[in-house]
Amino acid sequence: MASRSKLSQTQAAWLLLAPFLATYTLFLIYPFFRGVWISLYDWNLLAVAFNPDAKEFVGMRNYERVMWGKDITWSVLNAPVLQTLGLIGVVLSIILSRMGRLSRFNAIALGIGSVLLVILPGFHPAEGGRWYDRRFWPTVGNTLVFVGFTVPGVTISALVLAAALNRETRAMSILRTLFFLSQVLSVTVVTLIWQIMFSPRQGLIANITETFGGTPINWLTDQQFAMAAIVIATVWWSLGIAMILFLAGLQDISKDIYEAAALDNAKGARAFWYITLPNLTRTISVVVILQIILHFQVFGQPHLMTRGGPNDTTQVLVRYIYQTGFRDSELGRASAMAVFLFLIMGSFSIIQFVIGREKD
Amino acid sequence: MKYVLLTAAMAAGVATTAPAQEITLGRFFGACEDAGTDTTKTAGEACIIQSIINAADAELDGISITTLPTDWGNYYDQIKAAYAGGTPPDIHVMHRHRVPEFAGLGAIAEISGDLKAAGIDTSDWAPAALDAVSYNGGIYGVPMDFHANLWHVNMDLMAEAGLVEDGKPVLPTSPAELLAQAQQFKDATGQDYLAADFAQFPIGVRVVLALMWQQDANIFTDDGTATINSAAGQSAVTAITQLFDADLANPQLNYADSQQAFLNGEAGILVNGTWVVDFYTAEAAKEEVGLDNYYVADFPTLFATGATWADSHMWAIPASLDGDGRAAALKVLAFINDHNIDWARTGHMAVRTSVIESEAYQRLPHRDEYTGTAAIARDTPPSKRYGAIQDVLNRELQAIWLTGKEVEAALADAEIEVQDLLDR
Repeated sequence: MASRSKLSQTQAAWLLLAPFLATYTLFLIYPFFRGVWISLYDWNLLAVAFNPDAKEFVGMRNYERVMWGKDITWSVLNAPVLQTLGLIGVVLSIILSRMGRLSRFNAIALGIGSVLLVILPGFHPAEGGRWYDRRFWPTVGNTLVFVGFTVPGVTISALVLAAALNRETRAMSILRTLFFLSQVLSVTVVTLIWQIMFSPRQGLIANITETFGGTPINWLTDQQFAMAAIVIATVWWSLGIAMILFLAGLQDISKDIYEAAALDNAKGARAFWYITLPNLTRTISVVVILQIILHFQVFGQPHLMTRGGPNDTTQVLVRYIYQTGFRDSELGRASAMAVFLFLIMGSFSIIQFVIGREKD
Repeated sequence: MKYVLLTAAMAAGVATTAPAQEITLGRFFGACEDAGTDTTKTAGEACIIQSIINAADAELDGISITTLPTDWGNYYDQIKAAYAGGTPPDIHVMHRHRVPEFAGLGAIAEISGDLKAAGIDTSDWAPAALDAVSYNGGIYGVPMDFHANLWHVNMDLMAEAGLVEDGKPVLPTSPAELLAQAQQFKDATGQDYLAADFAQFPIGVRVVLALMWQQDANIFTDDGTATINSAAGQSAVTAITQLFDADLANPQLNYADSQQAFLNGEAGILVNGTWVVDFYTAEAAKEEVGLDNYYVADFPTLFATGATWADSHMWAIPASLDGDGRAAALKVLAFINDHNIDWARTGHMAVRTSVIESEAYQRLPHRDEYTGTAAIARDTPPSKRYGAIQDVLNRELQAIWLTGKEVEAALADAEIEVQDLLDR
């Protein structure tokens, strides 16, 4: 009994933290460094399992084989649209930060993002050269497109829903539950539902199109619609959490502000624009960044709905990592891609961290 | 009360003489909840195989079998992860095309010395079946079937188009004839001549491969040189794309949709495997299904030599399994081998000569309509990268018919990527 009082506060803290730290180290820190280590080896999943000596240290070659190519050059006009956008971004970030319209952090983030947009798309194989892995960068591009459509899609629709459902009536609480319900489904169920929805023969969407005299779209096998189909299913699926976060944010806004605004004749859409949105900026940036980190890891929807097709248009990074590691057994290469994905998500986590501190 | 319990416990101990040997079994083919133990009544791949497994579980003394999840899509990824983690199932199904990969690494057991004791007579296996499970002079599994691409035919539509003679469908013997018959079919019926999954599952790849083999060409040579972008490759692809260009077939249908189109009577021919013969036979018998008069034909020869894509299902056990577990697993293999006739009901071709020659086998529905398939069955040269190579071909062929990529450019890209895979 006496020993209990001898623990200092620090000791007690460590003791209580120990289970978490042990689990965290064992299941996250260790596997992460192990992954980085594997990425430096030519490592066949099955061969190494049967003979631990079957791996070979290759240094950075996996990274080179995945991300680089033969005779790669850089030119400013390789992807004019993206690079011009990047240039505009650079100019904007300089002007806006000079004018004091952007915080220093936002200006730097926009600047770095824009510079990358100028530099990265400029790389291409020269005449006679080629990427060692022709699929990697297009796959990164598909993932960016997916994130680029899904995140605004989820954020805007969740925000609109939250604003509409933020009332204390029974009907609204039932509706809130209904909209949240999709979130609890597993990816298998979600993709099954949407595969049936999108089916050009039995699907609800095809039936509606046919009622109005249109020809049904082959959503999942048409190059132009496959990614859209996956984005739609994902938005429907992941609305719930974003909506709950927005509802929490909405309830933090004092009623007094709305009452004061109403006296100044600011109601409905005007109140939403001038009061709700400015008061929600913090929640919005949290939602956006959480969604970005979450959706970069998309796997199940394209894996189950389109198998990455047609012609790789819905192939995404995690699915490529999975295929490389498990179908092709090339664990070293897959780990190199995983490290790349970690860097992308890590940089967004840093942005979230900084934004979180800035406002405090 | 205490004594009653003790007595009951002792009685239970006496009843179960020895603890049952637990066997875990990995397979695809899909789930079948109540397959029962009667192996002669079930229909469709999933239920037939599950009824055989249930029967083995019930009839083999001291062996209890647990079937692991049966999903198709990620099967090999799961099996590999299980091997890498040191916990493979005690017995699992696989394709012959995976033998080089699994046997080459020493993952699956060489069982030529165990077969006789287990009651499996290898001399009853057709030579091609023995070949399917052999690798570097050893035997690495028990073959269960040959399966191949067939042409499933809607005879009513074909008759309407004037493409039936002596009760058999008139099928093309050249790419030009294919186009002409397809046009004739469309003009007469208004329906698509041909349907298949050209959009997801690699049925389209298998069609193009067959048409390349028919020209005595292949996608890579035995010494590992990719040869896809060739005159033969291009004429194989254009034989198919001419149908899409003339709107006589729809490349955007996936497996389920192409099958539905055929069953609805919206396509004259469906290119699909042997595994659906019993299913389509059953569907055609139903009043509400559009397909009424069903016929199965060998994949037609459009070029010089007959050829159709084929593979084999086989059962293997991990090299790490020994002792009682191995003996029990071999008994299960023998049981499956004994039920080759039941598995053949799916439409697959049997591997045992005694079964193939049996009257029961020859009386199976439509069996006499595709007897030529066994002789023209082909596959690519063995490779440890089979899955990845199929995927490259599937993507580039999809690029041609779904996204309008130039045939030559797509085949050239496919050749570079396959060469990369062969060189790795």
